[in-house]
Amino acid sequence: MFSYDFMQNAFFVAICISLLCPCIGIFMVLRRSSMIGDTMSHASLAGITLGLLTNTNPIVGAFIFTAICGALIEFLRKYFSHHLDLILTIILSLSIGTAITLISSGKLKANANVFFFGSILTVNTADMISIAMLTILSVLTLYLLYNSLLYIAYDEEAARVAGVKVDLINYIFAILMAAAVSISIKIVGVLVLSAMIALPVASALQLEKGFRTTLLCSIGFSLLAMIIGLFGSYYLNVAPGGFVSLTSVFILLVVLVIKNIKTVIRRLQFSK
Amino acid sequence: MLSIQHLYFSYHNQPPYVLKDLNLEVHSGDYISIVGDNGSGKSTLLRLILGFLTPVKGTITRDTKNIRYVSQKNDFSHAGFPITVKEILDSYRKLLKIKDKNEVNRVLSLTNMTEFKDRLISKLSGGQAQRVSIARALIGKPDLIILDEPSTGIDRKSQEGIYALLRDLNQKHHITIISVEHNLEMALANSTNIYHIANGQGHLCSPEQYASEIMHNTGHNPIDHENCSCFTDVTAQNQNQNQAQAQAQAQAQAQADDTTIEEVRHV
Repeated sequence: MFSYDFMQNAFFVAICISLLCPCIGIFMVLRRSSMIGDTMSHASLAGITLGLLTNTNPIVGAFIFTAICGALIEFLRKYFSHHLDLILTIILSLSIGTAITLISSGKLKANANVFFFGSILTVNTADMISIAMLTILSVLTLYLLYNSLLYIAYDEEAARVAGVKVDLINYIFAILMAAAVSISIKIVGVLVLSAMIALPVASALQLEKGFRTTLLCSIGFSLLAMIIGLFGSYYLNVAPGGFVSLTSVFILLVVLVIKNIKTVIRRLQFSK
Repeated sequence: MLSIQHLYFSYHNQPPYVLKDLNLEVHSGDYISIVGDNGSGKSTLLRLILGFLTPVKGTITRDTKNIRYVSQKNDFSHAGFPITVKEILDSYRKLLKIKDKNEVNRVLSLTNMTEFKDRLISKLSGGQAQRVSIARALIGKPDLIILDEPSTGIDRKSQEGIYALLRDLNQKHHITIISVEHNLEMALANSTNIYHIANGQGHLCSPEQYASEIMHNTGHNPIDHENCSCFTDVTAQNQNQNQAQAQAQAQAQAQADDTTIEEVRHV
């Protein structure tokens, strides 16, 4: 299987996704805004179609458009501070409207359907360079902003008092979200991309550990889901997006079952 | 340490003002409790002091930048947040760019939370979680700590522990404290001064003076528990009165509509 170049490329991208998506996802989940990931993944479709229309790399197109949408979400928070759901509806209307209009116009220079479900066959060298650069830059930025992001999620006002430029960091985080979405769309696909952002974190949260351990476990669960998903996709000849998503849900179920078994055993030991 | 001069504030930058011509001098070593009814502007004043809001008129002068804030705790604040006490404190130390790693152990010791350092914040009681917030505020040896209702959602025994800690920090460690309070009994027992806000205006007085003002207005001594059923301030009394009035109105309306007593109770 690894003798094929496309599989090597796919696994390289899978590692990048497994590293970056949970790092972004954990902050999104803890800020109770994981649906932003879903909205941004759908918004990326407009960026992809714009990229295909202008004959530029669709991953770059997706990154730029999704980053603009992320910044727009932060900007609209000032006007709809208690209505995040409404902001997401506005962004979805803008982006899906753009994507449907462009796709139905018939003027795209390539087929956009592959981005809906993901594909392990279509990752080329140009994509790998874009994805590698985005991943390195994003992980470096996350490392530098780790404490600020952690505190904005934990106690935003305390972060402000400590001198953290919360608004600026929120805009930078929007760009990081755009990067995570952009690197994932080719393999995972637009429709189930939020599974890679939220589900590994959901599984890790069940372990009830500290922040660093939860983050590392999220990356581990994400990597596991991606590897099993890609193997499944290869041998079953199905779209990787759907199978990776199903694997993520399965891992979460396994974690929940093990957690419940341990609770029952503990109760039995306690009752003795 | 902190000087507020002729402060006016409105959320729409025009009259009517939430706060009108407020003046307050906070000196080093003070423990000032800000009290007043719900909506009187206590928390707004606190946010102005912290710089989260900008005054429409007037000035706020801070002699120190070494200020910390303990926000109001609620039961859902950190529910499910996967972070240990040590991680919370160490992360804040790094945010403040304090290189001494022992600073975390120092604040844990000051707040008697050393044994809980590896515990998840979500597994702590309300009182313990509030101690962690205070421990975090102590990182970097602040000159001034500002607290927003530190006893909210905390049982009576833990409240006493929290206020004993604050008193200790104020008296032994000479940290100036400004605290927005709904817990009048504790405010009167621990503060050096009370700043009472009513109708957008504030006045500073001693705890004894404020207690006698309440005696004069309500006929109850707020420190004498036998004769005063409230532990909270006049706000709580007003709320109870409002609830009683609302219940009476609902009852009258229900009788007029021939509704049942059970429905009234439900209302």
